[in-house]
Amino acid sequence: MSLLEVNGLTKSYQPGNPILKDVSFSVEAGEFIAVIGPSGAGKSTMLRCLNRMVDIGEGQVLFDGRDVGAQNKKGLRDVRKNIGMVFQHYNLVPRLTVIENVLHGRFGYKSTLQGVLGRFTEEEKRKAFDLLGKLGIAEHAYKRCDQLSGGQQQRVGICRALIQDPKIILCDEPIASLDPNSSRIIMDHLKTISIEFGITCIVNLHQVDVAKDYANRIIGLRKGEVVFDGPSPLLSQRFTDEIYGMKTAVEMRELITV
Amino acid sequence: MQQITQQPSVTRHTRSGKINIRSGNRVSLVLRATLWTLGALTVLAFFFFDYTGFRPLQAIPETLYNLKAMFLEPKLSHFGWGEAAMQVAITLGLGALATVFGAAFAFFLALGAAENLSVPWLSKSIRIVVAFVRAVPTVLWVLIFAIAAGLGSEAAVLGMLFHSVAYLVKAFSEAFEEVDPKILEALRSTGAGWWQTVVHGVLPSTFTYLLSWTFLRFEINFSVAVAMGAAAGAGGIGFELFMASGFYFDLREVGVITYMILAIAIVLEVLSTRLKSRVYSAS
Ligand SMILES: Nc1ncnc2c1ncn2[C@@H]1O[C@H](COP(=O)(O)OP(=O)(O)OP(=O)(O)O)[C@@H](O)[C@H]1O
Ligand SMILES: [Mg+2]
Repeated sequence: MSLLEVNGLTKSYQPGNPILKDVSFSVEAGEFIAVIGPSGAGKSTMLRCLNRMVDIGEGQVLFDGRDVGAQNKKGLRDVRKNIGMVFQHYNLVPRLTVIENVLHGRFGYKSTLQGVLGRFTEEEKRKAFDLLGKLGIAEHAYKRCDQLSGGQQQRVGICRALIQDPKIILCDEPIASLDPNSSRIIMDHLKTISIEFGITCIVNLHQVDVAKDYANRIIGLRKGEVVFDGPSPLLSQRFTDEIYGMKTAVEMRELITV
Repeated sequence: MQQITQQPSVTRHTRSGKINIRSGNRVSLVLRATLWTLGALTVLAFFFFDYTGFRPLQAIPETLYNLKAMFLEPKLSHFGWGEAAMQVAITLGLGALATVFGAAFAFFLALGAAENLSVPWLSKSIRIVVAFVRAVPTVLWVLIFAIAAGLGSEAAVLGMLFHSVAYLVKAFSEAFEEVDPKILEALRSTGAGWWQTVVHGVLPSTFTYLLSWTFLRFEINFSVAVAMGAAAGAGGIGFELFMASGFYFDLREVGVITYMILAIAIVLEVLSTRLKSRVYSAS
């Protein structure tokens, strides 16, 4: 059985204006998938349907054999704690320290009271420092997050996702706000995670070349429809042009010279 | 070839045909009309006053004499300095009691009132009730509670508490709504529950605002407590002020008490500025 299965997902925010149209794919454990597509294609929306951060419209999302759309509050928390999430703008609590932000990833495992009081076990704290060390930011553990650079904050975000012990990590444009060097560091870390810990990664990306470099498989979205789904080497220029709705190179040249 | 074309349907024009860059055309018109009307009414009112018994030549020097007695020759005659300090402490206590309890109640109600943390029906109902409570002045609430508790400090504290809660719910819930939705999204995505999100996401992001609003309310409650001492028999320095002015007609004592209240107000102001700068510099 696949780790994640999406069947006929159709999602609209306003009736009659579907953002996702009949999206279906399945994800095996350990895959590293890049989702590409132009702005507004529905990448973020699709990612948020997977852990029901937005309501799933029609269709079905099966995670680890559980129907995500049918879960009650408690079941949904249970699904979410097994799915890590990494964001473009890191989404940390800026006034708290790095280590506090990382430990937020454990709330899914805690009772309300334990969580509210911030009771974390020594084991959890040790794990948090381990992860910070692995991502090379252990020396910043007691700094407030807003004192860190973007690249460092994103690594904190990844630690927060990892400490959840997730089966899958969803990344929504994790490098869109970073310079090329920091981008490479973050993508390398994600790749390492997927290989070393065997955690499945789904990464929304804007850069086709980055997607081809890192992902085993690419899903191309255009206007809410899957127009490409296959191993990354098979993503040819023709498909890229189709995903981004561009004219072929010859037509482009004609357009410019006119 | 693409070309930038003008879109006359989108732009708005003033009467002289120029492109308008303000959107609230009607709002500013209404505002101007209101100001003119009010100005005209004010001028008109001077013609309808009853001027009998109004002798400015006599009134001005007498007022000046009273002010001089009050502020340049202050002197306590009906009670000593120890007693005065005690009364000030009582007034501060009344204000603090109403503020601390008010802030505690307001915190929980504001969580229910904040649109990003609550459900629409709950947030709307709290807002409506709170707006109503806030619209009624504190003094009136004190008098209403006096029916049950009798005039005195209990009614004063209850009334002040009531109004403080309503005031702080508005302030707090607006602070909560300013919390970056990205923070809430991240916490929810980890599987965190509502209380966990509130305590570890919302609270750290808004704590300084909550603190400075509470302090501001304490300043207000202090001055209300003075007035309540005079008007509702709540005791404290306000009551002494009432006795000195309305009962003994002792202007010099009124002067001392005024100076004391002024001193406290200044101290509170300085404290709150200090508190704010310290909290904000840490952030
Ligand atoms: N909460 C929302 N309410 C209404 N419409 C929304 C909402 N979120 C997204 N949309 C709309 O859904 C469409 C797809 O948005 P989405 O953010 O999924 O695209 P995207 O592929 O992630 O784009 P980008 O690359 O710019 O991030 C857009 O047209 C957007 O306006
Ligand atoms: Mg997006």
